[in-house]
Amino acid sequence: MAVNRPLREHGLKSERVLWRGKGPSSFENEVDQLEQALGLTTLEKAVAWAQTKSMWPDTFGLACCAIEMMAIVSSRYDIARFGMEAFRASPRQADLLIVSGRVAHKMAAPLRQIYDQMLEPKWVIAMGACASSGGMFNNYTTLQGVDKIVAVDVYVPGCPPRPEALMEGIIRLHERVLAGIPPAYEVRGVAS
Amino acid sequence: MSWEHVPGYVSEKEAHGEQTVVVEPDQLVEAALHLRDEEGFTFLSDISPTDYLGWGQKGVAGYIGTTTGRDLNRPASQGFQVLPELKPKRFSMSYHLLALRPGAPRLRLQVWVDDGEPVPSVVEVWPTADWHEREAWDLMGIRIEGHPNLARIIMDDDWEGHPLRKDYPIGGEPVRFSGEE
Amino acid sequence: MAVAQRPRAGIYEGTRIPSPIPTVLQVTDELRESGDILQVNFGPNHPSTHGVLRLIVDLNGEEVVGLEAVIGYLHTGFEKNMEQKTWWKAITYPERIDYVAFQNNEYVFVAAIEQLLGLEIPPKAVWMRTLLCELNRLHSHLVWLGTSGLELGAISMFWYCFRERDQILDLFELVTGYRMHTRYFQAGGLAEDIPRGFYPECRKFVEWMPKAIDDYDNLLRRNEIWLERTKGVGLLSAADAIALGQSGPVLRASGVNWDLRKAQPYLAYAEVDFDVPVYPHGDVYDRYRVHIDEMRQSVRIVEQCLDVLEGMEGEPWIVDDRKIVLPPREELHTSMESLIHHFKIVTEGYRVPEGEVYVAIEAPRGEMGCYVVSDGGPRPWRVKFRGTSFVALEATATCMSNALVADLIAIVGSLDTVMGEVDR
Repeated sequence: MAVNRPLREHGLKSERVLWRGKGPSSFENEVDQLEQALGLTTLEKAVAWAQTKSMWPDTFGLACCAIEMMAIVSSRYDIARFGMEAFRASPRQADLLIVSGRVAHKMAAPLRQIYDQMLEPKWVIAMGACASSGGMFNNYTTLQGVDKIVAVDVYVPGCPPRPEALMEGIIRLHERVLAGIPPAYEVRGVAS
Repeated sequence: MSWEHVPGYVSEKEAHGEQTVVVEPDQLVEAALHLRDEEGFTFLSDISPTDYLGWGQKGVAGYIGTTTGRDLNRPASQGFQVLPELKPKRFSMSYHLLALRPGAPRLRLQVWVDDGEPVPSVVEVWPTADWHEREAWDLMGIRIEGHPNLARIIMDDDWEGHPLRKDYPIGGEPVRFSGEE
Repeated sequence: MAVAQRPRAGIYEGTRIPSPIPTVLQVTDELRESGDILQVNFGPNHPSTHGVLRLIVDLNGEEVVGLEAVIGYLHTGFEKNMEQKTWWKAITYPERIDYVAFQNNEYVFVAAIEQLLGLEIPPKAVWMRTLLCELNRLHSHLVWLGTSGLELGAISMFWYCFRERDQILDLFELVTGYRMHTRYFQAGGLAEDIPRGFYPECRKFVEWMPKAIDDYDNLLRRNEIWLERTKGVGLLSAADAIALGQSGPVLRASGVNWDLRKAQPYLAYAEVDFDVPVYPHGDVYDRYRVHIDEMRQSVRIVEQCLDVLEGMEGEPWIVDDRKIVLPPREELHTSMESLIHHFKIVTEGYRVPEGEVYVAIEAPRGEMGCYVVSDGGPRPWRVKFRGTSFVALEATATCMSNALVADLIAIVGSLDTVMGEVDR
């Protein structure tokens, strides 16, 4: 069963298709070291595997990145092969919050409320430049990075990031979870 | 054609292919009714408030790019820029009107006000002005008199200040670069 | 003499626009006394509100008796940000306002700059801009149709429409290097020449697309459930639509034959042959019909633009004025003036003469306008965008008479709003 393989072998296969002699990347090496350091039991690995294979996102599309987020559900990029096409409208049923788009200060309160209503374990992907750092809008009304109010696991740069870029972000998140790395709010020790 | 028959007429201008009529603020509603009913401008496209604080105070040196190049006989096309002419008051409210006939004639109806001076509402003339006027109040601080629901629309309800004014800072955060102390 | 009276209730007699506030449907006092009213928040995070729109809805059972729209959750400060940047850098911003029809927004700002500068754009750039704007219209209508179908239960529409949308984005990527927010238009023309592989790819798309549109239409046009949910729902009369400033498909579905591409032709629209669909009833079904017919017409326009563009190999794609446009890189090695102009344009930016203009185009949602005030310097003094969706949302209260909760979703979807335009 998949849980018995080291995480390194789950990794980013597309690179190996194009570049045959390529060894593991630095990300994979780090994840490998963490996996060995944390030493998850088989049960914990199984739980992590299950969490990864059906991590349902919450519909939090704000702006342009939302259109590319909708594109990953479409048939060309097909996130259903990862079990994630069920975008839940209710945060109570969602595991993953993909903040896609610029967050105005007026929207920051609803964003935090939605995040609070999600049940643990929960992960956050900051999709796009505006969610990661405020993007090109360094002004009075845009939150300069959504990590000011929620704990972010993965930042996906781009304006907007290609659907493939977002999927790589999601796959890296899956690899973190499989390695046993806890969600960002535990890592950073902030309220969840 | 001349627009002198519009009630409250102050001046008119034609530039860049567009016509602008300036009227007195307290005659704005009559001018609007005249233009809508007599001249056929039934469609209000847009209401744009503009803040001219600091207009023309910074003289900029340097070459002005004209499409035909330098003209040694025309002043200010070869060296220093002419300061733009001063505006009558601090704020202008431009109402962009459109008549729904072939040729799409457009007109800009403009009023000039100072800080604190109210502008009458044209909601009863063009109902679409409702949100545009609320935005003018919210972002620029131009008080609209007679508006049925003058509240903040874009910023938070308890926001202080009017962001699009020239004396309101752009805000944001200074960007830190890695390697910096 | 000041005209400062309180507006009377019932000022919009003869129309269905609610009084005294045209954008708020207010619960009558008897209903409020009865205690049957439930106030529900269709909050900013909702799968069917097309972005961060908040509707405060008063319900009497299933019927909507009160409605107020609260916006501002996506306010990004575009207009103030653009005042800080030079004209060239500011062109990057407008695309993100209506993030589904991005090149139309870019075009309206660039057109305003060009009108102030008084430039004449070379024909190749004009035709290519027309082609890209029409592809963008297709893109916008496909996203609308996909998401509207998804909301009303025709879930497969989402996947079919996004399949074609990906083909259009492939074309954009071929020309400009990026899928969305392409930043291909410059003041004076296009940023780069059109790559050689574009015409055959676009031809393939143009041959395939009419069949796809027929597929969508056959799925929905006589579908009983679709008809039940959209016919007679969200009625907006022609007079109300004009009074509320509606434009684009919403206006044409209410029976008003008004299209800025025909009434005030810009770009190459005077030289292409296309029809403007107009439908009389003003309900959600007619808006759907207008969108589908416009998609067909857009494909016709793209085909005609391709025919013209294929004969324009080797022509200039940007104006030759070195005060505004960067000189070609080879010249920088040999000509001192080119080097100086390159330096000045990149550091200080080109200057736009003093003045104010308002340019309006027929964006996929309706009239998109850009009001630009320049003080003669390298930065804009004031930029204001007339967002179509901002005005379209003003009509929600009027369309909402005798509506049920399910109709509310259909109506808000049919007004084709994009919240980036609303809040800017």
